[in-house]
Parts: sequence; structure tokens; C-alpha cells
Amino acid sequence: MTIDKVTLEILKNHTRAAAESMAYTLYRTAHSTFVKETEDFTTGLTTADGETFATPTELGATWFVGLNYGRAIKMIDDYRPGDICITNDPYSGFVCTHPPDMHIWKPIFYQSEVVAFSVGHIHNTDVGGAVPASLSRSLSEVHQEGIRIPPTKILSEEGMNQKILDIFLKNVRAPEQNWGDLKAQIAACNTGERKVQEMIKRFGIETFRKGIPELLNYAENQARAIVRNLPNGKYEFWDYIDEDAVNGWPCRIKLTLVIEDETLILDFTGSDPQLESSMNIPTGGDPRHVLVLVGVVYVLYSLDPKLYLNSGITRICKCILPSGTMVNPEFPAAVGMRTLSCNRLHGLTFGAFAQAAPERLMGAPASGGPIMNVNTTDIKTGRRIMAAINPMTGGSGGCADGDGNDGSGANQGFLKNTPTEVNEVEAGILVHRYGLMKNSAGPGKHRGGLGTEMVFEALAPNTKITARNRDRTRFAGWGIVGGKAGAASAFVRNPGKTNQINLGNTDIVTVDPGDIIYVSCGGAGGWGLPTERDPKAVLHDFKCGWITKQHAKEIYGVVISEGSVDKKATTACREIKKSESSHNPSNGFYNVSVSQQDFEKVWTKQNYDILTEGLAKLPISWRFFAKHQIFSAIAKMPDNDPDKLDGTAVQTEFNILLKRFPDLRNRIEA
Amino acid sequence: MAYRIAVDIGGTFTDFCVFDDTTKQLTTLKVLSQPTKPGSEISNGLTELSKTFDFSPEDVTWFSHGTTVGVNTVIQRTGAVLSLLVTEGFEDVLELARLKVPDPYNIFSQRPAPLVRRDRVYGIGERTLKDGTILKSIDDQSVKNAVLRAKKDGADTIVVALLHSYANPENEKRVRDIVMSEAPDIEITLSSDVWPVIREYERTVTATVAGYIQRRVANYLTAFQTALKTANVPALPLIGKSNGGVMSAELGKRDPISMLLSGTAAGVIGASNVASGVNCSHVLSFDVGGTSADVAVILDGAPAYSSGEMVGEFPIYVPTVSVTSIGEGGGSIAWIDDFGVLKVGPESAGSNPGPACFCLGGTSPTITDAFAVSGFLVSENLGYGSVSVDIKKAQQAISVISQRLGKGNSEVAESIINIAVSGMFLETSKLLSRRGVDPRHFSLVAFGGAGPMLACHLTRDLGLAEVIVPLTPGVLSAYGGLIANVKNDFIRTVFVNVDADGLSVIIEVAETLEHEALNWLHKEQGFDGETQLSWSADIRYQGQSYEIETTLTRASIFSADASNILSAFHREHHKVYGHSDEMAEVQIVNLRLVVTGLVPKPRIPKIKERKAEAEPEKYTKVFVDGALQNTAVFNRTKLRPGHHFLGPAVVIQDDTTTVVLPGFKGHIDGSQNIILTPCEAKNDN
Repeated sequence: MTIDKVTLEILKNHTRAAAESMAYTLYRTAHSTFVKETEDFTTGLTTADGETFATPTELGATWFVGLNYGRAIKMIDDYRPGDICITNDPYSGFVCTHPPDMHIWKPIFYQSEVVAFSVGHIHNTDVGGAVPASLSRSLSEVHQEGIRIPPTKILSEEGMNQKILDIFLKNVRAPEQNWGDLKAQIAACNTGERKVQEMIKRFGIETFRKGIPELLNYAENQARAIVRNLPNGKYEFWDYIDEDAVNGWPCRIKLTLVIEDETLILDFTGSDPQLESSMNIPTGGDPRHVLVLVGVVYVLYSLDPKLYLNSGITRICKCILPSGTMVNPEFPAAVGMRTLSCNRLHGLTFGAFAQAAPERLMGAPASGGPIMNVNTTDIKTGRRIMAAINPMTGGSGGCADGDGNDGSGANQGFLKNTPTEVNEVEAGILVHRYGLMKNSAGPGKHRGGLGTEMVFEALAPNTKITARNRDRTRFAGWGIVGGKAGAASAFVRNPGKTNQINLGNTDIVTVDPGDIIYVSCGGAGGWGLPTERDPKAVLHDFKCGWITKQHAKEIYGVVISEGSVDKKATTACREIKKSESSHNPSNGFYNVSVSQQDFEKVWTKQNYDILTEGLAKLPISWRFFAKHQIFSAIAKMPDNDPDKLDGTAVQTEFNILLKRFPDLRNRIEA
Repeated sequence: MAYRIAVDIGGTFTDFCVFDDTTKQLTTLKVLSQPTKPGSEISNGLTELSKTFDFSPEDVTWFSHGTTVGVNTVIQRTGAVLSLLVTEGFEDVLELARLKVPDPYNIFSQRPAPLVRRDRVYGIGERTLKDGTILKSIDDQSVKNAVLRAKKDGADTIVVALLHSYANPENEKRVRDIVMSEAPDIEITLSSDVWPVIREYERTVTATVAGYIQRRVANYLTAFQTALKTANVPALPLIGKSNGGVMSAELGKRDPISMLLSGTAAGVIGASNVASGVNCSHVLSFDVGGTSADVAVILDGAPAYSSGEMVGEFPIYVPTVSVTSIGEGGGSIAWIDDFGVLKVGPESAGSNPGPACFCLGGTSPTITDAFAVSGFLVSENLGYGSVSVDIKKAQQAISVISQRLGKGNSEVAESIINIAVSGMFLETSKLLSRRGVDPRHFSLVAFGGAGPMLACHLTRDLGLAEVIVPLTPGVLSAYGGLIANVKNDFIRTVFVNVDADGLSVIIEVAETLEHEALNWLHKEQGFDGETQLSWSADIRYQGQSYEIETTLTRASIFSADASNILSAFHREHHKVYGHSDEMAEVQIVNLRLVVTGLVPKPRIPKIKERKAEAEPEKYTKVFVDGALQNTAVFNRTKLRPGHHFLGPAVVIQDDTTTVVLPGFKGHIDGSQNIILTPCEAKNDN
């Protein structure tokens, strides 16, 4: 028997009320400013098996809808009322996905039976390890990323597990914050427990027992209905992170999306081997790991915002995550900066779905802009200042309905900026400009959203600027169905001066008074042919200062003179553009940036596929090294060598490696 | 003879509340609003009033009035053509806002288009630093160029919002001088005048909304003043403010931003007053109209204030009585989704075409229809006879849903009510958790057309202590205007650490604020009664990005010792967040001062309660809690203090129906409120 659909809706509102109340409790009582600024936390309720059935939508991170706590739950043998468990180890159960995230769960009892768990996480400002804040792209082992607690009862009938707590707090840089935040998490779990008890009292245990699985089924059925409306097919797509390590080679993430009636297969075969940097995405190979499904949740919800957000959605998905790749790294690969690669993964997912339904999706969302901090000295008081300044963001992609949102949106729509006035008071800098970056939008009939840019001046010596998650300096966000790629991001010291330095994807720089920093996030990709854009819209962009006259003419074929569109000249200009583009064979479904086109002249899909297939045969510890050997060898070859492009050279390099390292060959043959 | 009158002009009705100072009687009246002829509803109402009882306009000593004209201007986007002048390099300030999009889970989510088109935003060469030092004076030519273009754009108003103008408004004032000489016909709004506070987006958007509505509001207020003059009302025309107070209509023309959300604020003030009358310290006000339910927390008689409340699609940052608006009201429509799940809202039939049973052309099944089908709506007329109720029409509308669900009409009607209530439960739970308070201590003051209809349901779900239905639930916003004080807010950003150096800055700023505030109350407003100054500051620990408004005493500010401010903040932080840090550096971001001219309140004498069982008018059958139950119907006009009764019951009155669920008992208190309390623990399984 199932419960009736009326009770279901009422139960749904009550479970959500519980999850939202947990979120408010946590937000209200958390100690660290970081939690309040970034809202990087979650709360929720799961079934006894760990499937999340209620998630708050008003507060908290948008990335963990439907996280399955099951594996961590199972790692504790015996639950008793009052127990509270924690873990921040990305390799124990794959619930936690990088060490700063402290996950917590508390069993909720009906009589002697566990009927649910209240759960959640907080991103701790620091959990120790090699660098302050515990995050750096340069780290290569999880041991460097802070102290890790495997699934452990921190609270039980015997009270607080003081020993574990003491060890944890001894190993972090701001223990009072971690402790304060943990207390807030405990308070949130207790709120969730109380609310569930009230619900059971109100509706009866039977209704609760039957209703919760129905809530999961409901979301699942909604998700199925959305997917049913997408055409069946196999959609292959790949995208790159600029560098696989500091100053490294490009890193490919590849996705083959299969839509089969009401279900989705996401095959990540062909993605780079696990990295010797911290951008790995730990999933344990779980075919429904929420971290690789964030893009799917975004897409399905955006196609129908009535979708109820819980674990039920993930049931229609199956991911193929080959072991030893960056989407399923083996211990002890570092994972701290998985945010950067997850951002790319979201866009990749949007792109694969776009192939299936170009009229219903968008060009690449902007990414590559950093989360920024300034560490300097107050020139008046001499006090050391540590302040978060703006996250640099860009817009959402153009779509059939219109232009992308400017400045922020898509998978970064949850971020907030810091007012310039507050930046100047707090961070000891002088801001010269903060606004939308000219010509940054991926052109299209409907252009992508513009990226943001900021120019500021340091006022004190030895000012350290950190810019976490820098990327897309090289490979910008792609456009679809004729739309073009957005602008790349940039990070420059003293732009336009003789001492100009291009900082590329660097994530930390030290500057002195008078030094100017320019930083920008790339623009989002366009949708449809730029020559089909309404000339009035082009004119408006020009008048708003968002494109130059030259850009209007060269990209859109719109000639602007004396503040209005020269219709005749525009018609003529567009005619020429159309005949040019009909000769241009690269106008496929995706339009990638020029630097990506150049890269792919050598690293064609075929070449890269042969590389990843070959690497997959090597022992995991050899793969990253082998990739680098092959990349540098190929780079040294002359461009006119025919072997360079068709995989022959890549194969040859594999053979050379095996010859050079007999141990390696023996291991493969064994 | 002396009368006080308060009027609240809504979309459909204009509510009048009249207090006769001689007889101590409160009278209410509703007339239809006249959106096309502003001011005429006031003349109509006054004429109506003189018909109903012996009253002449010359005897009116107080006339306050709340209006939605400003809000409607923003929602319908019918305000002034604006140009915006900002510091060069920051022209996208409105486009970027604070980045976050309305629905972060939706990749297509877009921020609303600003009230000023981006091609009408002009960068001005100038720069003020954080401490108010002028790094670069105004480049006059850049202003002249902008004015020239603004003229070409057909701008009615130029809004000026320059960086750090809260610290030093000199550059904004210089721009104003140039604009006035270059284009004397164009109005000017300076961000430093509207609300001089740090955070450029917040200050700019607030100034923009102010500039956008200024002309329409001013014209409207002139019409209001004329209407009173023509009617020979000698009282000073007062208008309601978002802070729950009132000010003269003349001042409102200059300060339109502070009156935008006066309607909801006045309702909360009305509810606070009702609650204080019955000595309730923990109160939720519950104002339900056709499209929304407005809920506010009132602790110890004081409503919470916040800034950043939404007006249409835009947040405005002036102090506003904090109200959570839930998108469910009497007109919310029930529907079935693709998976057979019954849903209620967010679509609403509002008041036009309204619920099916109101016979105004609506056919969709609404929450009100569900109450009609259940049998709760027993009066044939509502809203002082302006609406007639036809149960058959409600039956028809609901039957569309019942057929699809394969269930009976009554059962479906009850389901619709329960689902609607669970939605309100969700939103109210969030509000209570945000404030960290326990629902079990709260009383619900229910008003608005549909508040008393839903109050018991929500109280039962949330586990609240009791429901209070005031004597005039349909006109509580107007009543709030009747008992309001004259009130204004002042703010300055100081951004200093709370130490000896900081304190000297704070004292200097406090002196300025105090001077401004008293000048406003006594000179500009012409008030000479009892005056109250309430000091507070937005304070935080260094490194936090959010502040807590902390109440301060005048002495703690003007003493040479920072410790009183510090301990007040530590206490407040502990109260709000459950912890404090005595070792951390503390910063004051803004200093605030509220000046209140205390207006003697009308005294409605309490009537001695005479305990007696209330006499039902009749009995009716109502489908409630899954069964058809015999239900007493009471007429509000016949209920006397001391009367008591048991649920299920229905209390009918001119403008609303109070639903009393089984398991609740009711009694009438000395102020003629209906008090509904759950009987002792029941139906716990």
C-alpha cells in the first residue's frame, strides 16, 4: 500500500521544514565567518539507509543534493539514541569529498529502531596540513591536506569523545572555530531529530515509514518524466582544465552521456588519469555519487523547477568512473581543489545535454574566476589584515530564450560579492574598477553572460593575494549551435605597464604598494549564429559599454555609426560574413576558443583517446608521469610530422616508455 | 467632540478606522478603492461616515493614512525615467547587484532588469576614499556631459550614487549643484540623502527606487492633502511609514522611500498593540489576504526590524518592520501535478477574479472555496455586503479536482486546506528557526480577510499557545495607523573599532545624529509632545561580514568608556548566535538613532468579563477532521466579554470568518478579542 498523494504533499512540506530549520540553526550558531559568508554547508534528513529525502533550498551549498550517507553510516556498527558521528576523510566511505568538509550524522529512533538520520556538513576554514586553509593546487597527497577523522562516534551515551576531539583540535590552525562550528552542526542535527520526532507524533509512524520512500519515489518519477522528454541517444563531449598541475599540461575530462528513455548513463572513460595535484574528484567509483551528478541535478531542475530535490533524482543515473582517473582517484591522491574540476564537470554535463536538447540548454557557463583573499598590513595601524574580497564570476550561457545572465549565474549563481566600499575598508586596497568585462560574452544570436573584472591597487608592502580556483586562462567557455566561445579569464600584475606580468593560472602572488592587479573571470558561451543577433541588441550592448564598435562589426556584422545601426552597411557586412562561415568547416555543434582549436590541431580527439586508453593500461602510479613524458615528447615534434596527429606518435612514445622502464613493462605483462 | 481617523488604501478596499475620543468607541468602514482617482476614496469614506453617525470633519484631530502607491509604481514599473551617475569604473553596480541570482538551483535564473537602463548610467570622474578624504574632486565636464545625455534620454530624475558618499557627501553635493544649473527641470536624488550607509549596491538601489517613485508619490500626497482640505479636515495629514510610525504628508514628498511598505508595517503595529493589551510577550502576527500571508515575530511588544526587504523585485535598505510574506492566501488555487499530487498555489485568483464562491467571475478552486465547501463559510455576505458567497460555485470549482482524485468534495476540500496550511507551516517554521525561538510560547494574532479562517489550523500544526482574533480583524492595518507614533530613522556609517579612538568618532557622529533627529521631529514635523530617542548600532567582531543591531543607551555612547558598548554587543551576539568572544576586536559599522514622538493612544476601556456560555446563532454541518460535525455558529456582534464556547465553531462578522477547530475552546476577553486555546493534550497517538 502506498500513502495517498495528499498526505505526501503535507509530509513533503513538513520534512522540508525540518531540513530548513536545521539549516537556520546551523547558520545562526556557527562560529566561523566563512560559514556565514559562503554558506558552504548542508543539512538534511536521510533514510535509515542514508538516502537524503529532505534538503533545504534557502540556505547552504547547492552541490550536495541527494548525497548518500549510506557508506559512512555502515562504517559504524551500533547506533544508540544520542549518538553523533563525524568524518572528514574523503577516503572513508566517500561521503566527505575533501578534508575541510566535516560531515556529521545522527540516528533518529522510533522506539528501538533507527528510522532516519539527520545529517550535514560544514566546510571548515582550516583542518591543518601543509598550507593555511588546507587547500592548494600544488598538494599531491591527501596527507598534506589536513588531519582526517574516519567515521567516528564523537558523541554517545558516554558523552563527548574528548580524546578524538582534542587530537583533531590540536592539529588545526584555528581550533576555536572548528569547535564552534562542530557545536553548530550538533545543534542542527538535534533540531532535525526533534522535528522528525514531532512529525512521527503528528502523522504516526506508519505514515512516516510509508511516506518517506514515497518522497524519494516522487522525485525519481519527476526526474524520469523530465528525461523522457529528452531524445534518446549517445552524446559525447569533453572539455579541459588548463593545467593538470602547477605549470602542467592540459587535463581532459570526457563524458559520454547516454539517454535511454527515462535513465541516464554518464561514462567518464577517456578522462585524465588521477592527478599529482589536488584537483581529483573522489567518488570511490560510486555510480550515483552526487559530486559527479551535480550537473545533472542542475539540468533537470532547470528544465523543470518543480523538481523536488532529493536522492530520488540520482536513482535514474549510472556513472562509469574508471578507477585511477581524476573522477575516481585512488588513495592517497590529493582532492582539496576538487571544486575547480567540479566546476568544469558541471559545464561538461550542461554541454552533453545541450547536444540532446540544444533548444532547451545553454552555452558554457563562465568559470575560471577565483575566490580571492588579501593578506596585508593596515597602513595606519600596522595591524595584519586578512580579508576575503570578491569572488570573480561570470555569467550563464546564451540559450534559445535569450542572453545569459551577466556577471553571475548558471552553476555559480549562489555566490555573493563583497561591496567595493567594504573591500576598501576591510582589505586595505584601492579598487579602480569593478564591473562587467567588455567583449567578454561569447557571441551568439543570444550571447553568453559577460564576465566580471576587477582592477585594484595594493597600498602596503608584502601584500599577498590568493586567487583560488584560477583556470580558463587558456581554454575559454564554448558556444553552441553557432554561438561562439566567451573570453578567457586573466590575472595580470601591472597591466599595460613596462613591468607587466601575466600571472596566468597562478593562485598566489605577493605585491607591493602601487602595484596594480587585474583579475577577471571568463565570459559564458553564446547560442546561435552571431550574425542572426538582432542589430538593436548589438547596439544596446555597445551603448552599455559591453562591446566595442569593432567587436560589433567583426563578430556580429553590425555597423554602428553615430549612435545607431547603419542598416545598409550592416546588411552588406552580414552577407559577407555568412558566405565566409559557410566555407568554415569548424562550425560544428560546439564552438571552442581559438586556443583550444590550436591545441586540438595536435591533440585531436583520436590522439587523446589513444593516450587515455594507453594510460589506463599502466599501473596507476605511472600514469601521470607517463602522460607528462608523452606530452613533452609530442610537443617537441615538428608540426608537419604526419605521425604526430593520428596516434602513431603517441603509441610510439608508449613503446619507448616501456623500453626505458623494464619494470613497468613487466608489471603490465604480469 | 474629537475623532481620530486612520485609513488604509489597498488594491480592492479602502479601510477606515474611526475612534471617537468622547464615547471611546471604535468604528470601522470599508469603501471600494479608486486607483484611478487618488484621494476620492477618502472623500467617499468621509461622506459615508457622516451618514452613519453624527460626525463632522471639523472634529477630526488625527488623520493618518497608508498607501500602496509607491509599491505599485515599482511593481508596475510606471515610475520616472531615470539617469544614474556613479563613480567612473563602477557603472555596472546595479547590473551586478550582489551577484546571487534569485534561484541558484536554476541555471537559467536571471536577476531582474534594474530600474535604470545600463545605457543611462554615466561614470563621473571623481573619487572619495573610505575615510571621506577626497582623492579626486568632481570632473565638472564629465557631469555636464552626463546631464546633456540625460536630457537627451528624457530623464525626469537624476540619481547620484558615488563611492563612499556615506563618509563624505561633498562630491555628490557638487554634482547636484552642477545638475541644478545645467538642467533645472530635472529632479535630483542623492544616495547620501536617502540613506547614507556603507555598501554601494544597497545604497544605490535604495536611492534608485526613491528617485523612481518620488514624483508619483508626491503627486499622490498632494491629492491626499487636497482631499482633506476640501473636506474641511483640520488635522495634519499623516502618512504611514515602513518603520511602523507616521510622518506628515509634506515630509513624505521628500522622503518617499520610507513609506513604501507602510501597509504591512501598520498591520504588525496593530497586532503588537492587540497583543500588549492581553499581555502577550511572544507573538506571531498572521495577516492573510487574497494572495499572501504576512507573518511577523513580535517579542515583548516590539516588532523586529530589518533592511533589505523586497519591494517588487528590489531590496530597499531603510528600516522596515520585518515581515515574511508567504505566497499563499485565500485566493490561492488548488491544482494537481503530472504525478497526481494535489498542490496549492503559488498561483492565486487574488481578489479579482477571486475565489469561485465570491461570484466575481472566478472559476478556479481556491482555499476560500475549500472552506466554503467544508461548510465553514456560513454568511451569505462578506466585506460589508460587497461580496456575496455562493457555495454551489465553490462545489463546482472543487469538483474538478475531486473527480480527478476520485474522492468526495468535502474530503478534497479538507485536503486543500491541510496542504495550504502545511505550506504556511513550512515558511513559518523557517522564520521561527531563523530567530531561534520556540513556537510553544507564541500567540498568533490573526487578521486580514482570511487570517482568522486559517489561524487554528496553523496553530495546531506549529503547536502555538493560542490564537487571538482582534475585534476588527479586517482593518487592523488601518488600526495600526490610528495608534502609530511619529517616527523617523537616522543612520551614519562610522566603521571604527570600539576603543578610545573609535569612541571619539562615535561621539562626534552621535551628536550630529541627535541634532538631526530632534530637528526633524520638532521643526520639520512640528511635534511638541513627549520625545523618545532610541540608540543602536550595527556591530560585529572584526572579520565578520555581517553585523548585529545592538541596542545602546545614550549614556554608553557618550561616556568615555567603551566597555558598556562592548558588553552590550557581547550579550546581543550571545543572544542571537548562542556564543560570544570577549577577546575579539569589535567594530561599529553604523550608528543608528530612532526618534519617536509619542502620541497619546486612544484608550479603549476594558469591559468586565461576565462568564457565560455563548449563545449560538444556529448550528450548521461542517466537514472537519474527516467527519461531518455539528458546528455552532456565533455572530461576533453578539459575543460579549466572558462568553465562552467549544470548537468546532464558526464566528461570523462583517469582514471575516473565524474558524474554530475541534479541540479548541474560545472565549471573549475584556478587549473583545476572541481567544482560542487548544484544549489539553489531545489526539496524540
